[in-house]
Amino acid sequence: MKLTHISLLLIVASFTSKAETLPDKQAELDASAKKEGQTYLQPRPLSTIPEGEFGDKVRRGYQLFVNSQQMRDKYVGNNLNCSNCHMDAGRKANAAPLWAAYFAYPAYRKKNDKVNSYQERLQGCFTYSMNGKPPASGSEELVALSAYSYWLGMSGLMDQVGVSWPVPALSDDELLKGGKRDDFAMPAAVKAAMTLEQRAKLPGKAYPKIPEPEQAYSPERGKEVYQAHCQSCHNVDGQGYETAGVYSLPPLWGPQSFNWGAGMHRVNTAAYFIYENMPFGKSIQLTNQQAWDVAAYINSQERPQDPRFKGDITKLKQQYHQHQGYYGQSVAGQAVLGSKAYPNNPNKAQ
Amino acid sequence: MKRKLIILALLISSGSTYAAMPPSAVLCGSCHGPQGQGVEPLGPRLAGLSSDYIAQQVKLFQTGKRQNVTMAPMAMTLQGPAIKEVADYFSTQDVPVVTPHLRGEKVSYTDPTEQLVYQGDWERMIPACVTCHGPSGVGVGDFPRLAGQQASYIKNQLIAWQQGTRGGDQDAVMGTIAGKLTAAEIEALAQYFSTIK
Repeated sequence: MKLTHISLLLIVASFTSKAETLPDKQAELDASAKKEGQTYLQPRPLSTIPEGEFGDKVRRGYQLFVNSQQMRDKYVGNNLNCSNCHMDAGRKANAAPLWAAYFAYPAYRKKNDKVNSYQERLQGCFTYSMNGKPPASGSEELVALSAYSYWLGMSGLMDQVGVSWPVPALSDDELLKGGKRDDFAMPAAVKAAMTLEQRAKLPGKAYPKIPEPEQAYSPERGKEVYQAHCQSCHNVDGQGYETAGVYSLPPLWGPQSFNWGAGMHRVNTAAYFIYENMPFGKSIQLTNQQAWDVAAYINSQERPQDPRFKGDITKLKQQYHQHQGYYGQSVAGQAVLGSKAYPNNPNKAQ
Repeated sequence: MKRKLIILALLISSGSTYAAMPPSAVLCGSCHGPQGQGVEPLGPRLAGLSSDYIAQQVKLFQTGKRQNVTMAPMAMTLQGPAIKEVADYFSTQDVPVVTPHLRGEKVSYTDPTEQLVYQGDWERMIPACVTCHGPSGVGVGDFPRLAGQQASYIKNQLIAWQQGTRGGDQDAVMGTIAGKLTAAEIEALAQYFSTIK
């Protein structure tokens, strides 16, 4: 009797831990260097989204993307909006455009030996970048975000081959899987123009890779770059600026920013993003070294915990943080990063 | 309490209607209005701008980074702690409450001016005005409120940014953006923001 109890407990325990194991859905973006004179896919203007049920999903996706705070305390646990890192509402090349991401999924990931669909990738964004709780598979939010991504991508691909009719509507199930599939329905001219692999690597995807810095990147030098070029928008303490309830100038670290599992916590990803997209509107060009240094400064500050944390920073560091980042390290004699991390998916009121 | 009453009595007897106005702000009030509501075309509205922003502009006029025939000598009359006193006074004056238009409320805009304001024009690397100036341009941090500002003033400023007679922005962010705007866009943007009340 006692033995049964124990084995039952063990079974329950093993089930729980299995359910809690979060796959690495924020594996490093597949970045490549920017090419001189490169042209990029141009999605259609939002005014051409068709009327009707499918168009409504596309529009809803746009709305969730630029005002993600409407999902606050439900799926979003920080002050960010998707459009903070995906410029021009996910339309801009070299700013992780949705039109490129959509055709890169489903994708096989070695790390969790699993094929991840587009909706699973989106769920990863909620868990990590938005420090929240992902909407359930098949939920209207994931359908809408998938529909918006698909419409941007397909409208651009169709225009590229001179097919001017409206983007074909797809079922929710089809939308959620992503466009990198042999059986993915698309106009014949679009299908013939590129291979599956070419569509999965559209120029302008992710953030363009920049060379390694001449000197090892330094948070100390990065602080000077931050003060000189970043803090007028992101505030002295990196917490951004709020007005009328909106952080259009977003927090870069601290409890209201992305967590230790988000792609942007990697120094290289942040350096690529910053070099290409900052300062906003591109008034000056930071040097390669400045981009790396300031990325190191921003990412050597405490932020919300890695959601895969189970009480052992060293173990988590071993398992998931063997890359350019500061999780589990002490910078300038400060506490080990992660040891004072902020909570995951907190309520806004807290 | 007794002392406050005396001060109040003194202020009333001296004929000042605006009890909280520091003496150094009186001169400013003659062109900007005693409560900084602006007197077109003499001076723009100061009410609702952040104190830091106002103080910064005074210093820019003093150092010539922001050029204006009238404001250059006027700014010199403010020195030391008076700058902050004046800035605090005007920044705390009431402005109409605006119900902000949030991103996503509309997916597309038929009016190109509204599109520029709320979505920008990224093909020309022009971000949405509201990203820095706040929803509906109500202002945030060092970025001034545009909602309800005089159209003539906004227009003149955008032209000043283009011509380089206004500076002091971080990394020339505003100068760069203004430089991309057409004369017609400047006119339309100035009109648009001035009507957000």
